[in-house]
Amino acid sequence: MLNSTGDVTSFQILRFIRKVQHLCTLYCLESVRNPKIIVAFLLAFLLNSTAWSQGTGFLDHLRIGFGIGVNASQIAVLQTYNVFEDLTGTTYTNEYTGMLKNIGNQYFVHAEWFNDYFIVTLKPGTYTYRFKKVNDVVFANETTTQETPYLLRYIAVPLEVRYRFDLLRFRPYAGATVSYSHMLTSLDASNQTFIRPKVTAGAVAGTYIDLRYVILDLNVAYLAGIHNITSKSNRFATGNGSTFAQDDILLNDLQINLSLLFSLQKQKHYSNVECFY
Amino acid sequence: MIRELGHIPLFILLVFGSSACEIDQKEILPEDGFLKIYNHPEEQLAYYPESVVELPGGGYVFLSAVKDENDEVEYPYTNLVRTSASGEVSWSLDNDWRAPASKLMLINGTVGFVAMNQQFDAYLILVNPATGDVTEQHNLEMTMPLYAHMDSQGRLVVLGYDFVTRSSWISQYNGSYQVQRSNKLPVNTDLEYLVQRHLNKTGQDYPFFIGEYRNAPASGYSVNCFYNYTLRTVFLDQASLSATGDIYSFQTEEGISSVIQKSASLFGVTSYYEGNNYIMPAAEIDVNSSSNIKDLPADPLYELTYRAEVIAGNLVLDTASYCLFVSQTNDNSLVIYQYEDGTDVLINTLYREFDQVVVVNDVIQTADKGIAILGGIYILGKYQRPFLVKMTQDPFLPEEE
Repeated sequence: MLNSTGDVTSFQILRFIRKVQHLCTLYCLESVRNPKIIVAFLLAFLLNSTAWSQGTGFLDHLRIGFGIGVNASQIAVLQTYNVFEDLTGTTYTNEYTGMLKNIGNQYFVHAEWFNDYFIVTLKPGTYTYRFKKVNDVVFANETTTQETPYLLRYIAVPLEVRYRFDLLRFRPYAGATVSYSHMLTSLDASNQTFIRPKVTAGAVAGTYIDLRYVILDLNVAYLAGIHNITSKSNRFATGNGSTFAQDDILLNDLQINLSLLFSLQKQKHYSNVECFY
Repeated sequence: MIRELGHIPLFILLVFGSSACEIDQKEILPEDGFLKIYNHPEEQLAYYPESVVELPGGGYVFLSAVKDENDEVEYPYTNLVRTSASGEVSWSLDNDWRAPASKLMLINGTVGFVAMNQQFDAYLILVNPATGDVTEQHNLEMTMPLYAHMDSQGRLVVLGYDFVTRSSWISQYNGSYQVQRSNKLPVNTDLEYLVQRHLNKTGQDYPFFIGEYRNAPASGYSVNCFYNYTLRTVFLDQASLSATGDIYSFQTEEGISSVIQKSASLFGVTSYYEGNNYIMPAAEIDVNSSSNIKDLPADPLYELTYRAEVIAGNLVLDTASYCLFVSQTNDNSLVIYQYEDGTDVLINTLYREFDQVVVVNDVIQTADKGIAILGGIYILGKYQRPFLVKMTQDPFLPEEE
């Protein structure tokens, strides 16, 4: 419940929000282009959420923290495009390194809302993927393997919906995830051969470990790319044309994440074992 | 309160809508733009690409001279490759015609090129583009062919070298490939050794070429050849093949690398001398007089390779026409200088980076108004092989204000 001071503050906030939202409505089409308007939107969202959550007890069901993790990229080829043509009729193939060689990492802010059955999780952060493309250039007396490494760094916003199981000592969960990512610009010319957005979807499973003051969230997720990430108009603009052209590919990845969470509600239980007097 | 949140989904929808447009990409067909490197597994072969043509039904044929270290004949043999519209090999055939000379020509449904036999006699060879089979061959009554050109009236014009009279030899042929006119330009010194080394790819590669001009004031050919001790661009009257004027340089070490007529007496010219390359996008040239190359005001192109081969050509788009000069830089890039016709202003410089040395050999405008560039590249830094780059017209379109 808000006190009288809180009511005045909320009223002022709401008036400000209405003004911002009015402007946003007027310029909504421009918002995609103009970063200042996007910031205004985000500000409105934060103020809106704060005021709303104070009024509804939303914060009692909110946990926030941060996390890190590793990922292993898996490339699925939709269509192969070769730079090399053999004048004797041999077909050249493109291959990609396996998951165990494609280790990347991620750093993210972790926020989740929960009730008795479900947990909704947002993990916005930086997600970096690595993989290599391997081409063999065949000659009569030597075969040269050329490797082209890629490092794709995205700002991503994964959204997870988890169903929680209450096993007393463990608090495992399983669910689904969908993630929207936007690639950060790079000086590497070969990165220009990819489009900026990436959308993935998949499954997630893990468990919470309650450490009294903090909660650890250990989870595993597999995300499958749901569209081609190669820029069709730039597939040959690799910057070093003697090696390859960009295939049409899906970027799938297996993630292992560890998050450190802080509950915003008043701490009632310090562990899975509760004592009653 | 829920109403206050109403615009948040709208914002999210806008972001996703924008991304969806990028994700749902316009389909780019492989033939719209590609890069292909044509490899042969035999290490002892070195390919020297010469010329490319686009076939009327789609696809390309390109010509290369091939040096085989183990060959008993020192002059390179001929290799023809037919590709699909997306650059994939349909067939690749070698034949024993030696030192093929640019350029490939489309003649009555066949693909023609000029090369020589082992006795230096020049021949026109016609090939069926569907199979690669030789359908006709015509003795051109000339020796040491250096360049072949099909003029705007469909007549074959060939530049050769006569080692007996020590002359550059230009012949114009009729529709039956009989000599219609011929002219020998005396070199006045014996340059047979240099010509031989040019033909067998062991010496300097000279920029021999035949171009064409109209109304400047008459119509004629601009022929880059040896003449009167030097490498010159000689202007020949089209009706008589007699020399009307020329641009000369210092002996054979300097010269013009490309010429293209822009309008009347205005020509686009590139040259190399004193170790540098130069460009004159709009040089006033009197085709009826003799002038020194150094008298033409020129801008240096320091980025180009030593004595760079430069291919000049026209690019005609729906909205405007341009003059392109295509060459290669010291940092292994193809470079295209795009000049606007009329204003002669450089409006665009396009680079295409490679990780090995590249050389440009031919450029054509394709039916879809893009361009195709034929060149050579050193695969792994060792093996000379041809490559073909197809570009759409998009990079050449002027940016919208």
